[in-house]
Amino acid sequence: MSNIPDPILEGLQRGWKVLGGKHAPLPEHITCDVAIIGSGAGAGITAELLTKAGLNVVIVEEGQLQSSSDFKQRELQAYAALYQENAGRKTKDKGITILQGRSVGGTTTVNWTSSFRTPPDTLKFWQDHFGLKDFTPEALEPFFSQAQTRLNIHPWEAAPNENNELLRRGAAKLGIKAETIPRNVKGCYNLGSCGMGCPTNAKQSMLVTTIPFALDHGATLLVETRAEKLVFDGNRVTGMQCIAVKPNAAPVQAGTVSTTIAAKHYVLAGGAINSPALLLRSKAPDPHKQLGTRTFLHPVAITTAVMKDAVEAWNGAPQSIYSDHFLHTQPVDGPIGFKLEVAPLHPMFFGANLPGFGAKQAELLRQYPHANVMLALMRDGFHDQSVGGTVELRGDGSPLLDYPLTDYVMDGARRAMLVMAQIQFEAGATMVYPGHELAGGTSTWAATKAAIEALPMKPLLTKIGSAHVMGGCGLGGDASLGVTRPDGVHWQLDNLSIHDGSIFPTSIGANPQLSIYGNVNRLAQALAKRLSGKDVVLA
Amino acid sequence: MPSHPSKPESTAMPQPTLRRRSFLKLGIGSAVVLAVAGGTVAMLKPGLVDGKLSPSAREAMGKIGQAMLAGLLPSEPAALQAATEAILQRTDVFLAGLPVHVLEELGQLLSLLTSAPGRRLLVGLPESWAEATVAQTSAALQSMRESGMALRIQAYQGLHDIVFAPYFSGEESWQAIGYPGPRAV
Repeated sequence: MSNIPDPILEGLQRGWKVLGGKHAPLPEHITCDVAIIGSGAGAGITAELLTKAGLNVVIVEEGQLQSSSDFKQRELQAYAALYQENAGRKTKDKGITILQGRSVGGTTTVNWTSSFRTPPDTLKFWQDHFGLKDFTPEALEPFFSQAQTRLNIHPWEAAPNENNELLRRGAAKLGIKAETIPRNVKGCYNLGSCGMGCPTNAKQSMLVTTIPFALDHGATLLVETRAEKLVFDGNRVTGMQCIAVKPNAAPVQAGTVSTTIAAKHYVLAGGAINSPALLLRSKAPDPHKQLGTRTFLHPVAITTAVMKDAVEAWNGAPQSIYSDHFLHTQPVDGPIGFKLEVAPLHPMFFGANLPGFGAKQAELLRQYPHANVMLALMRDGFHDQSVGGTVELRGDGSPLLDYPLTDYVMDGARRAMLVMAQIQFEAGATMVYPGHELAGGTSTWAATKAAIEALPMKPLLTKIGSAHVMGGCGLGGDASLGVTRPDGVHWQLDNLSIHDGSIFPTSIGANPQLSIYGNVNRLAQALAKRLSGKDVVLA
Repeated sequence: MPSHPSKPESTAMPQPTLRRRSFLKLGIGSAVVLAVAGGTVAMLKPGLVDGKLSPSAREAMGKIGQAMLAGLLPSEPAALQAATEAILQRTDVFLAGLPVHVLEELGQLLSLLTSAPGRRLLVGLPESWAEATVAQTSAALQSMRESGMALRIQAYQGLHDIVFAPYFSGEESWQAIGYPGPRAV
């Protein structure tokens, strides 16, 4: 029986103001200084800083409030309770499956803890192409540094598990440098269950850090409540209509506005699909037709290997080794570059993401303890043939991302598969299976190379996933270049800030959580100063 | 992928014509298939009832599951039937987590699969689901998987998801593949 304390249950007992769902009924009207939409990476940082400045904050979260007592390391329950669309959100042509969080803490509740600063070449591209002169590593340094202190971000000190170690080992044999991943954990049990919510509260997600801070400092949290529509008067937001939703996001009472929030300022931080969608539903001004465009995913290509020795890829820190060799050895705006990592493997994730079925597939699935899935995260948004996707709305107002997998991206998938397969063989693979519906397993590098070179790299046939959604409300140095001003305020709406991954004008080229923390930390400190006159810092 | 050997000759295979802009939404595509078959939407049985598999959808998904999970499920008939039932029950639990728009689309797909014209044109199976052998079902699924028609591949992948996810959420699957289960905390 677990004797792990649950900081959420303790907070609720202390009298946190949590409304909605099973907690307490939603009031018809709420007034506050700032309404924050979402409770993930950008929302959490903003909530902590604004409450620290003494502002009256309301946080609106569509998902449920779950905590360590609920996190049982069971995929079926976790995916339904903690992810957008049961961990199966898909792009319009169903060519990409997107993992994105949907509960208090957002994706930070379920991510694999990898924490990287925004790479300098990404910031340089923003300076050169989006008029973001102040987005330099030097200007951002204190804000990243504070976020790292606040969230206990350090390179992982324990030995990598075999799943990660084999990346380093195979890459080293090819002269490819691989390094240790910084993680946001404190007292990590090395369980490997990060993707199902941390049962020991070791992961320093928004769920156990900034959101509890904000609630302890008087914030109100609405859960199972969707921000449905913003109402405008000229260049100001005058109100926000919210509806109560069930755990699967269906309205509790169709067509009924449950709560109307009147705030002095609004902070949109619903993530890079839901934030543009709320603005689209609200018919927000968009004179330059930027809203919802340039949405990026780091499309991920995979190869699966069966290794000679046991891997047990479900066990231990999910990600602790990476390689940026294929980002740093080529121009940022040339053929698409990619970051190499591995995936933790639990049965549903492994079984559902491997192409194929039937008796031959069963042979591979029985090799599960020896399996390794390598990932190549492709850096999209830096080339004129990499314009990302566009968020649109279904008839019911729910968001849909149209992300065409162009030949430019798919060329990267082929190059990445070749690299990953070679690394896997160097690390001791006995078979490698490219992530493609027409590929079989092959037992030598030469045969695998020939097979990958011959594959038709088409959407749906090539298995592509994503866990990093960015863009759609991009920052721009002038109004024609983006939706969001360099200070985080909407270009046409003076009392609306956007504080999440949707503001990135390109993909990051690294797992984006620390990029959101650091960039939003700067924006939110300035916002707190403007709204309260007080100087606050994150740590 | 593992269901057939590597095909280095695959450059000679017909290239699927996956023109993104010509993709049909499943709903429209379903209507097109039915129009070709001379059917109407009115003759369809529902694929989902109250968010759960309808009786006819259970029959289809049972056979599809047995084909997709061949080699993992028990072979003895009574044990196979019991395992299939357990997966179908978990499928309903899995469906409960899906948003409305996905359920609507899935309902249309299952409705189509359980109609004779839909089964012939989308799956390529002339037999009823009850009559189809596992081998016939496997061949039909493989044809969908490699199809040049986006709608057929999307349908195959949707079916793959709602078979594999519920199956691998069950502890009997953990034993089959060697997962020891979560560590105690």
